[in-house]
Amino acid sequence: MSDRDIDLQLVERVRQGDQRAFGILVEKYQRKLMRLLSRMVRDQHEVEDIAQEAFIKAYRALPQFRGDAAFYTWLYRIAVNTAKNYLSSRKRSMPTVSDQAMNDDDEPDERLVAQDISTPETELLSKQVAIAVNQAVDALPQELRQAITLREIEGMSYEEIADTMACPIGTVRSRIFRAREAIATKLRPILGTPEDKRW
Amino acid sequence: MRSQEMTEQTMQTLDAIATDLPPADSRFENLSALIDGELADDMAGLGIRQLSQNEAQLARHHEYIAIGDAMRGLNVQHPDFTQRVMAALEKEPVVLAPVAKKSERRPTLWLAAATAAAITWGIWQSNPRDEINPQLAAAQQPAQLPANQSLEAMPYLAAHQDFAQAVISTQEMRFTKASLEIRQ
Repeated sequence: MSDRDIDLQLVERVRQGDQRAFGILVEKYQRKLMRLLSRMVRDQHEVEDIAQEAFIKAYRALPQFRGDAAFYTWLYRIAVNTAKNYLSSRKRSMPTVSDQAMNDDDEPDERLVAQDISTPETELLSKQVAIAVNQAVDALPQELRQAITLREIEGMSYEEIADTMACPIGTVRSRIFRAREAIATKLRPILGTPEDKRW
Repeated sequence: MRSQEMTEQTMQTLDAIATDLPPADSRFENLSALIDGELADDMAGLGIRQLSQNEAQLARHHEYIAIGDAMRGLNVQHPDFTQRVMAALEKEPVVLAPVAKKSERRPTLWLAAATAAAITWGIWQSNPRDEINPQLAAAQQPAQLPANQSLEAMPYLAAHQDFAQAVISTQEMRFTKASLEIRQ
């Protein structure tokens, strides 16, 4: 099942009353969305507020989501409009945003929203996470490191990775999983994730 | 097929031997594949259900997503953001899309509508409109005007034909300037 189909299934679960399924979508897209918004609004707290408002608007509008576009594309448009409304209500300019990055008819361009923001509040945690993940990836056995890198950074499918690494797809799946587990072990104390999730 | 499975098992065993990593909790292997969109449809449906219902699955999902984002340079962490959104959603009415229900009455309605249409058609066929109301049929016959009056009326009729009710007009009543000229 493709990523887009998974999102559609999650949306369907929300429509059937499963609010937690929406939490999974929030988890999945929050950083991507906030990176986009950080190109439009400088203040970190405002970025979070707008992102939260965008998610809530999306939740309210879910009955109208027809699935013609990918969920993130739809969410992206809601977020951009929310940010525009916010900025116009505050009569602020949008100094760092190019027209292309603001174009709400297109897919977001990763290159245009690649600049991250940081504030003292989040800087330490962000650095800790980055260091922990990098160190954990470096410490992985070569096969696992290659598999997780091809997946997460290059965005390859399991089949493509299997071709590249000359191994069966099942092995790719196992290697990526084992890599994630190994990295998660190092990341858990920093993220403070309990064994059982809350919300 | 069997040899492929053996190769896969062998490679995974060798992987496990070659690494000093602690044994991974295999309960989450499907979740890992689900996040990558690499789980078969039936398994994915089950995985999604488990994910939204199982706290341990949610915790792993949170970590796996954070790992992927960090590797792609999405390092900015927003602690408790999801909790904030979910707390705000608690105040929202539950989103419930109308689910199409199978109506037991629908076939009956269709049957009734079809029967009514068939009866109407039957009556219509056996009793043409002119026979039902001969007076109206007679009234609908084109008036025979003297030639000079018809000529005088031609521009007026041609100009106003668009306002005529075509539904009740007979063939003779549908004027065009050209047809009138020919008829003269």
